[in-house]
Amino acid sequence: MSPRHANARPSHHDAASPSDAEVLHRLAAGEIGALGVLYDRYQAPLRGFLGRATADAEDVDDLVHATFLAAAKIAARYDGRASCGPWLLGIAAQLLRRRKRAFGRLFAVLASLGGVRATSVDPRPAQQARDEVERALMRLSEAKRVAILLAEVEGLSCDEIARALRIPVGTVWTRLHAARRELRAALGDEAGS
Amino acid sequence: MSAGASCPRLFEAEAMRDGRLGHAERASFEKHVRSCAACAREVRALDTLGERLRTTAGESADELCTRRERTRLLAAFDRALVAPEGRPGSSNVQRWWIRATGVAAVAAAVITLLPLRGRETPAARRPEIHADAEAAWSEHVEADGERVVLERGTLSIHVDHASAPGRFAVVLPDGELEDIGTTFAVRVEAGHTTRVAVVEGRVVLRMRGQAPVAVDQGETWVPPTIAAPVASAPALLAVPEASAPALLGDPAFSSPSPTSAAPAITTSSGTQTLSPASPMRSAIAVPAPEFRAAMSAFDAGDWHDAAALFAAFGAKHPTDPRAEDAAYLRVIALQRCSDDRARQAAREYLTRFPAGFRRAEVETLAQ
Repeated sequence: MSPRHANARPSHHDAASPSDAEVLHRLAAGEIGALGVLYDRYQAPLRGFLGRATADAEDVDDLVHATFLAAAKIAARYDGRASCGPWLLGIAAQLLRRRKRAFGRLFAVLASLGGVRATSVDPRPAQQARDEVERALMRLSEAKRVAILLAEVEGLSCDEIARALRIPVGTVWTRLHAARRELRAALGDEAGS
Repeated sequence: MSAGASCPRLFEAEAMRDGRLGHAERASFEKHVRSCAACAREVRALDTLGERLRTTAGESADELCTRRERTRLLAAFDRALVAPEGRPGSSNVQRWWIRATGVAAVAAAVITLLPLRGRETPAARRPEIHADAEAAWSEHVEADGERVVLERGTLSIHVDHASAPGRFAVVLPDGELEDIGTTFAVRVEAGHTTRVAVVEGRVVLRMRGQAPVAVDQGETWVPPTIAAPVASAPALLAVPEASAPALLGDPAFSSPSPTSAAPAITTSSGTQTLSPASPMRSAIAVPAPEFRAAMSAFDAGDWHDAAALFAAFGAKHPTDPRAEDAAYLRVIALQRCSDDRARQAAREYLTRFPAGFRRAEVETLAQ
Protein backbone atom coordinates (compact mmCIF):
# COMPACT_ATOMS: atom_id res chain seq x y z
CA MET A 1 0.00 0.00 0.00
CA SER A 2 2.45 2.56 -1.16
CA PRO A 3 1.60 6.21 -0.71
CA ARG A 4 1.06 8.27 -3.79
CA HIS A 5 4.10 9.71 -5.41
CA ALA A 6 4.50 13.50 -5.02
CA ASN A 7 6.01 15.13 -8.08
CA ALA A 8 4.37 18.48 -7.47
CA ARG A 9 6.35 19.24 -4.34
CA PRO A 10 9.98 19.51 -5.35
CA SER A 11 12.31 19.42 -2.38
CA HIS A 12 15.34 20.90 -4.06
CA HIS A 13 15.08 24.26 -2.32
CA ASP A 14 16.61 24.08 1.13
CA ALA A 15 15.58 25.85 4.31
CA ALA A 16 17.88 28.78 3.58
CA SER A 17 16.19 29.59 0.28
CA PRO A 18 12.96 31.61 0.28
CA SER A 19 9.69 29.75 0.63
CA ASP A 20 7.26 29.59 -2.26
CA ALA A 21 5.01 32.07 -0.48
CA GLU A 22 7.90 34.53 -0.15
CA VAL A 23 8.84 34.07 -3.79
CA LEU A 24 5.28 34.73 -4.90
CA HIS A 25 5.07 37.77 -2.65
CA ARG A 26 8.17 39.17 -4.34
CA LEU A 27 6.78 38.23 -7.73
CA ALA A 28 3.54 40.07 -6.96
CA ALA A 29 5.68 43.14 -6.26
CA GLY A 30 7.11 42.84 -9.77
CA GLU A 31 10.49 41.33 -8.92
CA ILE A 32 11.70 39.54 -12.04
CA GLY A 33 14.25 37.42 -10.15
CA ALA A 34 11.41 35.79 -8.25
CA LEU A 35 9.96 34.48 -11.50
CA GLY A 36 13.34 32.94 -12.29
CA VAL A 37 13.39 31.20 -8.91
CA LEU A 38 9.87 29.91 -9.43
CA TYR A 39 10.74 28.69 -12.92
CA ASP A 40 13.84 26.85 -11.68
CA ARG A 41 11.80 25.11 -9.01
CA TYR A 42 8.76 24.10 -11.00
CA GLN A 43 9.46 24.05 -14.73
CA ALA A 44 10.41 20.36 -14.68
CA PRO A 45 7.28 19.02 -12.92
CA LEU A 46 5.07 21.37 -14.95
CA ARG A 47 6.69 20.28 -18.18
CA GLY A 48 6.27 16.64 -17.17
CA PHE A 49 2.61 17.08 -16.33
CA LEU A 50 1.78 19.02 -19.48
CA GLY A 51 3.77 16.59 -21.62
CA ARG A 52 1.76 13.66 -20.32
CA ALA A 53 -1.51 15.56 -20.54
CA THR A 54 -1.14 16.83 -24.11
CA ALA A 55 1.42 14.60 -25.85
CA ASP A 56 2.20 17.55 -28.05
CA ALA A 57 5.72 18.80 -27.51
CA GLU A 58 5.19 22.12 -29.22
CA ASP A 59 2.24 22.92 -27.01
CA VAL A 60 4.16 22.09 -23.87
CA ASP A 61 6.67 24.94 -24.21
CA ASP A 62 3.92 27.47 -24.76
CA LEU A 63 1.78 26.12 -21.95
CA VAL A 64 4.68 26.13 -19.47
CA HIS A 65 5.44 29.69 -20.51
CA ALA A 66 1.78 30.75 -20.21
CA THR A 67 1.45 29.05 -16.82
CA PHE A 68 4.30 31.05 -15.29
CA LEU A 69 3.09 34.31 -16.81
CA ALA A 70 -0.42 33.66 -15.49
CA ALA A 71 1.05 32.82 -12.08
CA ALA A 72 2.97 36.10 -12.11
CA LYS A 73 -0.21 37.97 -12.93
CA ILE A 74 -2.16 36.51 -10.00
CA ALA A 75 0.74 36.01 -7.57
CA ALA A 76 -0.84 38.44 -5.10
CA ARG A 77 -3.74 36.04 -4.66
CA TYR A 78 -1.55 33.08 -3.63
CA ASP A 79 -2.90 31.65 -0.40
CA GLY A 80 0.46 31.09 1.29
CA ARG A 81 0.60 27.30 1.23
CA ALA A 82 4.07 25.82 1.70
CA SER A 83 4.28 24.45 -1.81
CA CYS A 84 2.81 26.24 -4.79
CA GLY A 85 3.19 23.12 -6.98
CA PRO A 86 -0.50 22.17 -6.82
CA TRP A 87 -1.47 25.80 -7.46
CA LEU A 88 0.73 25.96 -10.58
CA LEU A 89 -0.61 22.62 -11.80
CA GLY A 90 -4.11 23.99 -11.37
CA ILE A 91 -3.25 27.00 -13.52
CA ALA A 92 -1.69 24.71 -16.13
CA ALA A 93 -4.78 22.49 -16.17
CA GLN A 94 -7.04 25.51 -16.63
CA LEU A 95 -4.91 26.76 -19.52
CA LEU A 96 -4.96 23.30 -21.05
CA ARG A 97 -8.73 23.28 -20.93
CA ARG A 98 -9.03 26.76 -22.43
CA ARG A 99 -6.55 25.93 -25.18
CA LYS A 100 -8.57 22.86 -26.07
CA ARG A 101 -11.75 24.93 -26.27
CA ALA A 102 -10.00 27.59 -28.36
CA PHE A 103 -8.70 24.96 -30.79
CA GLY A 104 -12.12 23.38 -30.90
CA ARG A 105 -13.71 26.68 -31.86
CA LEU A 106 -10.98 27.41 -34.42
CA PHE A 107 -11.34 24.05 -36.12
CA ALA A 108 -15.12 24.36 -36.10
CA VAL A 109 -14.89 27.73 -37.85
CA LEU A 110 -12.37 26.45 -40.38
CA ALA A 111 -14.42 23.34 -40.99
CA SER A 112 -17.53 25.44 -41.58
CA LEU A 113 -15.59 27.40 -44.20
CA GLY A 114 -14.65 24.18 -45.92
CA GLY A 115 -10.96 24.96 -45.66
CA VAL A 116 -9.99 22.09 -43.40
CA ARG A 117 -11.42 18.87 -42.09
CA ALA A 118 -11.42 19.06 -38.34
CA THR A 119 -11.26 15.31 -38.05
CA SER A 120 -8.07 15.15 -40.04
CA VAL A 121 -6.04 16.87 -37.35
CA ASP A 122 -3.98 14.61 -35.15
CA PRO A 123 -2.19 16.67 -32.51
CA ARG A 124 0.19 13.82 -31.75
CA PRO A 125 3.43 13.93 -33.70
CA ALA A 126 4.03 10.60 -35.35
CA GLN A 127 7.57 10.32 -34.01
CA GLN A 128 6.29 10.39 -30.43
CA ALA A 129 5.14 6.84 -30.56
CA ARG A 130 4.15 5.99 -27.05
CA ASP A 131 4.12 2.69 -25.29
CA GLU A 132 0.99 0.88 -24.23
CA VAL A 133 0.36 2.92 -21.08
CA GLU A 134 0.79 6.21 -22.86
CA ARG A 135 -1.60 5.16 -25.61
CA ALA A 136 -4.16 4.09 -23.03
CA LEU A 137 -3.68 7.38 -21.24
CA MET A 138 -4.25 9.34 -24.41
CA ARG A 139 -7.49 7.47 -25.07
CA LEU A 140 -8.97 8.91 -21.88
CA SER A 141 -10.94 12.13 -22.06
CA GLU A 142 -8.80 15.10 -21.13
CA ALA A 143 -10.77 15.64 -17.91
CA LYS A 144 -10.09 12.08 -16.73
CA ARG A 145 -6.49 12.16 -17.91
CA VAL A 146 -5.74 15.38 -16.05
CA ALA A 147 -7.36 14.04 -12.88
CA ILE A 148 -5.47 10.72 -12.92
CA LEU A 149 -2.16 12.43 -13.70
CA LEU A 150 -2.59 14.94 -10.91
CA ALA A 151 -3.42 12.13 -8.50
CA GLU A 152 -1.09 9.32 -9.46
CA VAL A 153 1.87 11.12 -11.00
CA GLU A 154 1.88 14.50 -9.29
CA GLY A 155 0.69 13.15 -5.96
CA LEU A 156 -2.05 15.69 -5.31
CA SER A 157 -4.80 14.80 -2.88
CA CYS A 158 -8.39 14.75 -4.13
CA ASP A 159 -9.09 17.99 -2.26
CA GLU A 160 -6.11 19.63 -3.93
CA ILE A 161 -7.26 18.43 -7.34
CA ALA A 162 -10.76 19.75 -6.68
CA ARG A 163 -9.36 23.14 -5.76
CA ALA A 164 -6.98 23.19 -8.70
CA LEU A 165 -9.65 22.29 -11.25
CA ARG A 166 -12.44 24.18 -9.45
CA ILE A 167 -14.71 21.16 -9.39
CA PRO A 168 -16.41 19.33 -6.48
CA VAL A 169 -14.31 16.66 -4.80
CA GLY A 170 -17.00 14.09 -5.66
CA THR A 171 -16.38 14.81 -9.33
CA VAL A 172 -12.68 14.15 -8.78
CA TRP A 173 -13.47 10.75 -7.21
CA THR A 174 -15.76 9.89 -10.11
CA ARG A 175 -13.18 10.90 -12.73
CA LEU A 176 -10.42 8.95 -10.98
CA HIS A 177 -12.58 5.86 -10.71
CA ALA A 178 -13.59 6.04 -14.36
CA ALA A 179 -10.02 6.74 -15.49
CA ARG A 180 -8.66 3.74 -13.55
CA ARG A 181 -11.41 1.50 -14.86
CA GLU A 182 -10.70 2.50 -18.47
CA LEU A 183 -6.94 2.26 -18.08
CA ARG A 184 -7.13 -1.16 -16.46
CA ALA A 185 -9.48 -2.41 -19.13
CA ALA A 186 -7.18 -1.06 -21.85
CA LEU A 187 -4.10 -2.55 -20.24
CA GLY A 188 -5.73 -5.93 -19.75
CA ASP A 189 -5.48 -5.76 -15.97
CA GLU A 190 -7.23 -8.82 -14.60
CA ALA A 191 -8.24 -6.94 -11.45
CA GLY A 192 -9.66 -4.11 -13.44
CA SER A 193 -12.61 -5.89 -14.86
CA MET B 1 -11.85 -13.46 4.81
CA SER B 2 -10.70 -16.23 2.60
CA ALA B 3 -9.18 -15.79 -0.80
CA GLY B 4 -12.35 -15.64 -2.83
CA ALA B 5 -12.75 -14.26 -6.31
CA SER B 6 -14.22 -11.06 -4.96
CA CYS B 7 -14.89 -9.23 -1.74
CA PRO B 8 -17.52 -6.64 -0.82
CA ARG B 9 -14.78 -4.44 0.60
CA LEU B 10 -12.88 -4.36 -2.67
CA PHE B 11 -13.98 -0.79 -3.35
CA GLU B 12 -12.22 0.37 -0.21
CA ALA B 13 -8.86 -0.15 -1.89
CA GLU B 14 -9.57 2.75 -4.22
CA ALA B 15 -11.30 4.74 -1.50
CA MET B 16 -8.18 4.39 0.65
CA ARG B 17 -5.92 5.41 -2.20
CA ASP B 18 -7.98 8.53 -2.79
CA GLY B 19 -8.05 9.50 0.87
CA ARG B 20 -11.74 8.84 1.26
CA LEU B 21 -11.32 6.62 4.32
CA GLY B 22 -10.97 8.04 7.78
CA HIS B 23 -8.14 6.95 10.02
CA ALA B 24 -10.09 4.12 11.65
CA GLU B 25 -11.58 2.90 8.39
CA ARG B 26 -8.15 2.90 6.87
CA ALA B 27 -6.72 0.90 9.75
CA SER B 28 -9.62 -1.52 9.54
CA PHE B 29 -9.12 -2.01 5.82
CA GLU B 30 -5.36 -2.41 6.12
CA LYS B 31 -5.98 -5.16 8.68
CA HIS B 32 -8.56 -6.73 6.41
CA VAL B 33 -6.19 -6.70 3.43
CA ARG B 34 -3.72 -8.87 5.30
CA SER B 35 -6.22 -11.69 5.31
CA CYS B 36 -8.11 -11.08 2.05
CA ALA B 37 -6.44 -12.14 -1.16
CA ALA B 38 -8.95 -10.31 -3.37
CA CYS B 39 -8.43 -6.96 -1.64
CA ALA B 40 -4.67 -7.46 -1.50
CA ARG B 41 -4.71 -8.11 -5.24
CA GLU B 42 -6.80 -4.97 -5.79
CA VAL B 43 -4.40 -2.85 -3.75
CA ARG B 44 -1.46 -4.24 -5.73
CA ALA B 45 -3.25 -3.61 -9.01
CA LEU B 46 -3.84 0.03 -8.08
CA ASP B 47 -0.23 0.41 -6.96
CA THR B 48 0.95 -1.11 -10.22
CA LEU B 49 -1.26 1.16 -12.28
CA GLY B 50 0.13 4.20 -10.46
CA GLU B 51 3.69 2.98 -11.01
CA ARG B 52 3.05 2.37 -14.68
CA LEU B 53 1.60 5.83 -15.10
CA ARG B 54 4.67 7.34 -13.48
CA THR B 55 6.92 5.55 -15.94
CA THR B 56 5.33 7.37 -18.85
CA ALA B 57 7.62 9.95 -20.34
CA GLY B 58 6.59 13.44 -19.49
CA GLU B 59 8.25 16.10 -21.55
CA SER B 60 11.73 16.87 -20.35
CA ALA B 61 13.99 19.54 -21.72
CA ASP B 62 17.76 19.57 -21.99
CA GLU B 63 19.66 22.27 -20.16
CA LEU B 64 20.05 24.43 -23.23
CA CYS B 65 16.33 24.34 -23.92
CA THR B 66 15.56 25.10 -20.28
CA ARG B 67 17.85 28.14 -20.30
CA ARG B 68 16.35 29.35 -23.57
CA GLU B 69 12.80 29.00 -22.29
CA ARG B 70 13.76 30.67 -19.01
CA THR B 71 15.20 33.65 -20.87
CA ARG B 72 12.12 33.84 -23.09
CA LEU B 73 9.85 33.80 -20.04
CA LEU B 74 11.77 36.47 -18.15
CA ALA B 75 11.89 38.66 -21.25
CA ALA B 76 8.11 38.35 -21.64
CA PHE B 77 7.62 39.23 -17.97
CA ASP B 78 10.04 42.13 -18.31
CA ARG B 79 8.16 43.47 -21.33
CA ALA B 80 4.86 43.24 -19.49
CA LEU B 81 6.30 45.18 -16.57
CA VAL B 82 8.40 47.72 -18.38
CA ALA B 83 6.58 48.40 -21.62
CA PRO B 84 3.92 50.72 -20.16
CA GLU B 85 6.65 52.96 -18.77
CA GLY B 86 8.68 52.95 -22.00
CA ARG B 87 11.51 50.59 -22.80
CA PRO B 88 15.06 51.79 -23.03
CA GLY B 89 15.70 52.83 -26.60
CA SER B 90 12.16 53.75 -27.46
CA SER B 91 12.01 57.35 -28.50
CA ASN B 92 9.78 60.06 -27.11
CA VAL B 93 8.10 60.29 -30.50
CA GLN B 94 7.26 56.58 -30.40
CA ARG B 95 5.83 56.94 -26.89
CA TRP B 96 3.80 59.98 -27.98
CA TRP B 97 2.27 57.98 -30.81
CA ILE B 98 1.53 55.07 -28.51
CA ARG B 99 -0.15 57.37 -26.00
CA ALA B 100 -2.11 59.18 -28.70
CA THR B 101 -3.27 55.87 -30.16
CA GLY B 102 -4.22 54.66 -26.69
CA VAL B 103 -6.23 57.80 -25.93
CA ALA B 104 -7.99 57.51 -29.26
CA ALA B 105 -8.79 53.84 -28.63
CA VAL B 106 -10.18 54.59 -25.17
CA ALA B 107 -12.25 57.47 -26.52
CA ALA B 108 -13.64 55.25 -29.27
CA ALA B 109 -14.46 52.55 -26.75
CA VAL B 110 -16.25 55.02 -24.47
CA ILE B 111 -18.26 56.45 -27.37
CA THR B 112 -19.17 52.96 -28.52
CA LEU B 113 -20.03 51.51 -25.13
CA LEU B 114 -21.85 54.44 -23.50
CA PRO B 115 -25.13 53.84 -25.36
CA LEU B 116 -24.98 50.19 -24.30
CA ARG B 117 -25.17 51.05 -20.60
CA GLY B 118 -28.83 51.95 -20.95
CA ARG B 119 -29.47 48.60 -22.58
CA GLU B 120 -27.72 46.58 -19.91
CA THR B 121 -29.49 43.27 -19.59
CA PRO B 122 -30.23 41.44 -16.35
CA ALA B 123 -27.60 38.88 -17.41
CA ALA B 124 -24.90 41.46 -16.74
CA ARG B 125 -26.03 42.21 -13.19
CA ARG B 126 -23.31 41.99 -10.57
CA PRO B 127 -23.61 40.62 -7.05
CA GLU B 128 -24.78 43.12 -4.46
CA ILE B 129 -22.10 43.63 -1.85
CA HIS B 130 -22.52 45.67 1.32
CA ALA B 131 -19.46 46.23 3.50
CA ASP B 132 -19.25 47.44 7.06
CA ALA B 133 -17.02 50.38 7.97
CA GLU B 134 -13.99 48.27 8.90
CA ALA B 135 -14.09 45.95 5.91
CA ALA B 136 -10.98 45.61 3.75
CA TRP B 137 -11.87 43.79 0.57
CA SER B 138 -11.44 43.73 -3.19
CA GLU B 139 -13.41 42.37 -6.11
CA HIS B 140 -11.96 40.48 -9.08
CA VAL B 141 -13.91 39.56 -12.19
CA GLU B 142 -12.46 36.56 -14.01
CA ALA B 143 -13.36 34.63 -17.11
CA ASP B 144 -15.28 31.95 -15.23
CA GLY B 145 -16.80 34.00 -12.47
CA GLU B 146 -16.09 36.49 -9.78
CA ARG B 147 -13.96 36.48 -6.63
CA VAL B 148 -14.13 38.75 -3.65
CA VAL B 149 -11.09 38.82 -1.39
CA LEU B 150 -12.00 39.69 2.20
CA GLU B 151 -9.12 40.59 4.50
CA ARG B 152 -11.11 41.87 7.48
CA GLY B 153 -14.54 43.11 8.46
CA THR B 154 -17.98 42.00 7.36
CA LEU B 155 -19.47 41.70 3.92
CA SER B 156 -23.10 41.06 3.23
CA ILE B 157 -23.61 39.63 -0.23
CA HIS B 158 -26.50 38.76 -2.47
CA VAL B 159 -25.86 36.77 -5.64
CA ASP B 160 -28.56 36.00 -8.13
CA HIS B 161 -27.13 33.21 -10.23
CA ALA B 162 -30.05 33.39 -12.63
CA SER B 163 -28.88 36.81 -13.77
CA ALA B 164 -25.18 36.50 -12.91
CA PRO B 165 -24.07 33.06 -14.10
CA GLY B 166 -20.63 31.80 -13.18
CA ARG B 167 -18.80 30.95 -10.02
CA PHE B 168 -18.85 33.38 -7.14
CA ALA B 169 -16.38 32.86 -4.35
CA VAL B 170 -15.18 34.80 -1.34
CA VAL B 171 -11.48 34.26 -0.66
CA LEU B 172 -10.85 34.35 3.09
CA PRO B 173 -7.53 34.55 4.95
CA ASP B 174 -8.01 30.98 6.15
CA GLY B 175 -10.14 29.44 3.44
CA GLU B 176 -12.72 30.04 0.77
CA LEU B 177 -16.46 30.35 0.62
CA GLU B 178 -18.35 29.42 -2.52
CA ASP B 179 -21.81 30.72 -3.07
CA ILE B 180 -24.57 28.63 -4.60
CA GLY B 181 -27.19 31.31 -5.41
CA THR B 182 -27.83 32.97 -2.14
CA THR B 183 -27.78 35.85 0.33
CA PHE B 184 -25.23 35.61 3.08
CA ALA B 185 -22.84 37.51 5.33
CA VAL B 186 -19.28 36.66 6.26
CA ARG B 187 -16.99 38.18 8.89
CA VAL B 188 -13.19 38.07 9.20
CA GLU B 189 -11.33 39.16 12.33
CA ALA B 190 -7.58 39.10 12.90
CA GLY B 191 -6.95 36.94 9.87
CA HIS B 192 -9.60 34.35 10.73
CA THR B 193 -13.11 33.74 9.53
CA THR B 194 -15.31 34.14 12.59
CA ARG B 195 -18.84 33.91 11.23
CA VAL B 196 -20.84 32.94 8.15
CA ALA B 197 -24.60 33.42 8.18
CA VAL B 198 -26.84 32.36 5.31
CA VAL B 199 -30.15 34.10 4.87
CA GLU B 200 -31.13 32.48 1.62
CA GLY B 201 -29.84 29.53 -0.42
CA ARG B 202 -26.62 27.79 0.52
CA VAL B 203 -22.88 28.33 0.62
CA VAL B 204 -19.99 25.88 0.78
CA LEU B 205 -17.22 26.82 3.17
CA ARG B 206 -13.77 25.37 2.62
CA MET B 207 -11.53 26.19 5.56
CA ARG B 208 -7.90 25.31 5.07
CA GLY B 209 -7.08 21.86 6.44
CA GLN B 210 -10.73 21.00 7.06
CA ALA B 211 -13.39 19.18 5.10
CA PRO B 212 -15.77 21.43 3.12
CA VAL B 213 -19.01 22.21 4.89
CA ALA B 214 -22.33 23.46 3.57
CA VAL B 215 -24.17 26.19 5.40
CA ASP B 216 -27.85 26.35 4.56
CA GLN B 217 -30.50 29.00 4.73
CA GLY B 218 -31.14 30.19 8.29
CA GLU B 219 -27.89 28.77 9.64
CA THR B 220 -24.76 30.38 11.01
CA TRP B 221 -21.29 28.86 11.03
CA VAL B 222 -18.76 29.76 13.71
CA PRO B 223 -15.28 28.24 14.04
CA PRO B 224 -14.48 25.59 16.66
CA THR B 225 -12.58 28.02 18.86
CA ILE B 226 -15.72 30.06 19.28
CA ALA B 227 -18.00 27.07 19.62
CA ALA B 228 -15.64 25.36 22.10
CA PRO B 229 -17.75 25.98 25.22
CA VAL B 230 -20.53 23.95 23.62
CA ALA B 231 -18.95 21.64 21.08
CA SER B 232 -15.53 20.94 19.69
CA ALA B 233 -16.73 20.49 16.12
CA PRO B 234 -17.62 23.47 13.94
CA ALA B 235 -21.09 24.47 14.99
CA LEU B 236 -24.18 25.57 13.16
CA LEU B 237 -26.67 27.77 14.88
CA ALA B 238 -30.21 28.51 13.85
CA VAL B 239 -30.57 32.22 13.23
CA PRO B 240 -33.67 34.24 12.52
CA GLU B 241 -34.13 35.15 8.90
CA ALA B 242 -33.08 38.67 8.03
CA SER B 243 -32.19 40.62 4.97
CA ALA B 244 -28.50 40.57 4.06
CA PRO B 245 -27.77 44.23 4.80
CA ALA B 246 -29.53 43.83 8.13
CA LEU B 247 -26.94 41.24 9.11
CA LEU B 248 -24.37 44.02 9.22
CA GLY B 249 -26.27 45.35 12.21
CA ASP B 250 -26.36 41.94 13.86
CA PRO B 251 -24.41 42.17 17.14
CA ALA B 252 -22.77 38.87 16.32
CA PHE B 253 -21.30 40.40 13.18
CA SER B 254 -20.10 43.54 14.89
CA SER B 255 -18.68 41.70 17.89
CA PRO B 256 -14.96 42.38 18.11
CA SER B 257 -13.91 39.18 19.85
CA PRO B 258 -14.79 35.49 19.67
CA THR B 259 -15.84 35.41 23.31
CA SER B 260 -18.71 37.75 22.66
CA ALA B 261 -20.20 35.15 20.32
CA ALA B 262 -20.28 32.50 23.03
CA PRO B 263 -23.55 33.59 24.64
CA ALA B 264 -25.29 33.18 21.31
CA ILE B 265 -24.07 29.61 21.21
CA THR B 266 -25.04 28.91 24.76
CA THR B 267 -28.55 30.18 24.31
CA SER B 268 -28.92 28.37 21.01
CA SER B 269 -27.45 25.08 22.12
CA GLY B 270 -30.84 23.54 22.49
CA THR B 271 -31.86 24.60 19.04
CA GLN B 272 -28.94 23.20 17.04
CA THR B 273 -30.46 21.41 14.14
CA LEU B 274 -28.79 18.22 13.03
CA SER B 275 -31.00 17.42 10.09
CA PRO B 276 -29.18 15.07 7.76
CA ALA B 277 -29.72 17.17 4.65
CA SER B 278 -26.48 19.08 4.94
CA PRO B 279 -22.87 17.88 4.92
CA MET B 280 -22.15 20.47 7.59
CA ARG B 281 -24.74 19.00 9.85
CA SER B 282 -23.35 15.59 9.14
CA ALA B 283 -20.03 16.86 10.42
CA ILE B 284 -21.64 17.80 13.74
CA ALA B 285 -23.33 14.43 14.07
CA VAL B 286 -19.89 12.83 13.55
CA PRO B 287 -20.93 10.13 11.08
CA ALA B 288 -17.58 8.30 11.11
CA PRO B 289 -18.18 6.30 14.34
CA GLU B 290 -21.61 5.28 13.10
CA PHE B 291 -20.10 4.02 9.86
CA ARG B 292 -17.37 2.24 11.80
CA ALA B 293 -19.99 0.56 13.98
CA ALA B 294 -21.76 -0.70 10.88
CA MET B 295 -18.45 -1.89 9.42
CA SER B 296 -17.59 -3.70 12.65
CA ALA B 297 -20.87 -5.55 12.55
CA PHE B 298 -20.23 -6.37 8.91
CA ASP B 299 -16.70 -7.61 9.62
CA ALA B 300 -18.00 -9.73 12.48
CA GLY B 301 -20.58 -11.33 10.20
CA ASP B 302 -23.52 -9.83 12.09
CA TRP B 303 -25.38 -9.34 8.84
CA HIS B 304 -28.74 -8.30 10.31
CA ASP B 305 -27.13 -5.72 12.59
CA ALA B 306 -24.87 -4.49 9.81
CA ALA B 307 -27.80 -4.06 7.42
CA ALA B 308 -29.75 -2.14 10.04
CA LEU B 309 -26.78 0.05 10.93
CA PHE B 310 -25.99 0.83 7.30
CA ALA B 311 -29.66 1.67 6.68
CA ALA B 312 -29.65 4.00 9.68
CA PHE B 313 -26.42 5.61 8.52
CA GLY B 314 -27.80 6.20 5.02
CA ALA B 315 -31.00 7.72 6.38
CA LYS B 316 -29.19 9.96 8.83
CA HIS B 317 -26.32 11.05 6.61
CA PRO B 318 -27.62 10.95 3.03
CA THR B 319 -25.03 13.44 1.77
CA ASP B 320 -22.05 11.89 3.50
CA PRO B 321 -19.44 10.58 1.01
CA ARG B 322 -19.88 7.12 2.57
CA ALA B 323 -23.63 7.04 1.97
CA GLU B 324 -23.16 5.10 -1.26
CA ASP B 325 -20.84 2.63 0.44
CA ALA B 326 -23.42 2.17 3.18
CA ALA B 327 -26.20 1.53 0.67
CA TYR B 328 -24.06 -1.01 -1.17
CA LEU B 329 -22.90 -2.80 1.97
CA ARG B 330 -26.49 -2.98 3.19
CA VAL B 331 -27.37 -4.88 0.03
CA ILE B 332 -24.48 -7.28 0.62
CA ALA B 333 -25.32 -7.74 4.29
CA LEU B 334 -28.96 -8.54 3.48
CA GLN B 335 -27.88 -10.93 0.78
CA ARG B 336 -25.48 -12.69 3.14
CA CYS B 337 -28.25 -13.39 5.63
CA SER B 338 -30.62 -14.42 2.82
CA ASP B 339 -32.96 -11.59 3.70
CA ASP B 340 -35.75 -11.06 1.18
CA ARG B 341 -35.14 -7.33 1.38
CA ALA B 342 -31.80 -7.63 -0.43
CA ARG B 343 -33.34 -7.24 -3.86
CA GLN B 344 -35.38 -4.22 -2.76
CA ALA B 345 -32.25 -2.69 -1.17
CA ALA B 346 -30.39 -3.23 -4.45
CA ARG B 347 -33.12 -1.44 -6.35
CA GLU B 348 -32.99 1.42 -3.86
CA TYR B 349 -29.24 1.68 -4.39
CA LEU B 350 -29.70 1.86 -8.17
CA THR B 351 -32.40 4.50 -7.83
CA ARG B 352 -30.40 6.62 -5.44
CA PHE B 353 -27.02 6.24 -7.11
CA PRO B 354 -27.76 5.77 -10.82
CA ALA B 355 -24.09 6.38 -11.64
CA GLY B 356 -22.81 4.61 -8.54
CA PHE B 357 -19.42 2.97 -8.38
CA ARG B 358 -20.96 -0.47 -7.68
CA ARG B 359 -23.79 -0.25 -10.19
CA ALA B 360 -22.62 -3.25 -12.19
CA GLU B 361 -22.49 -5.55 -9.14
CA VAL B 362 -25.76 -4.28 -7.70
CA GLU B 363 -27.64 -4.65 -10.97
CA THR B 364 -27.15 -8.40 -10.85
CA LEU B 365 -28.44 -8.47 -7.27
CA ALA B 366 -31.51 -6.39 -8.14
CA GLN B 367 -32.82 -8.96 -10.63
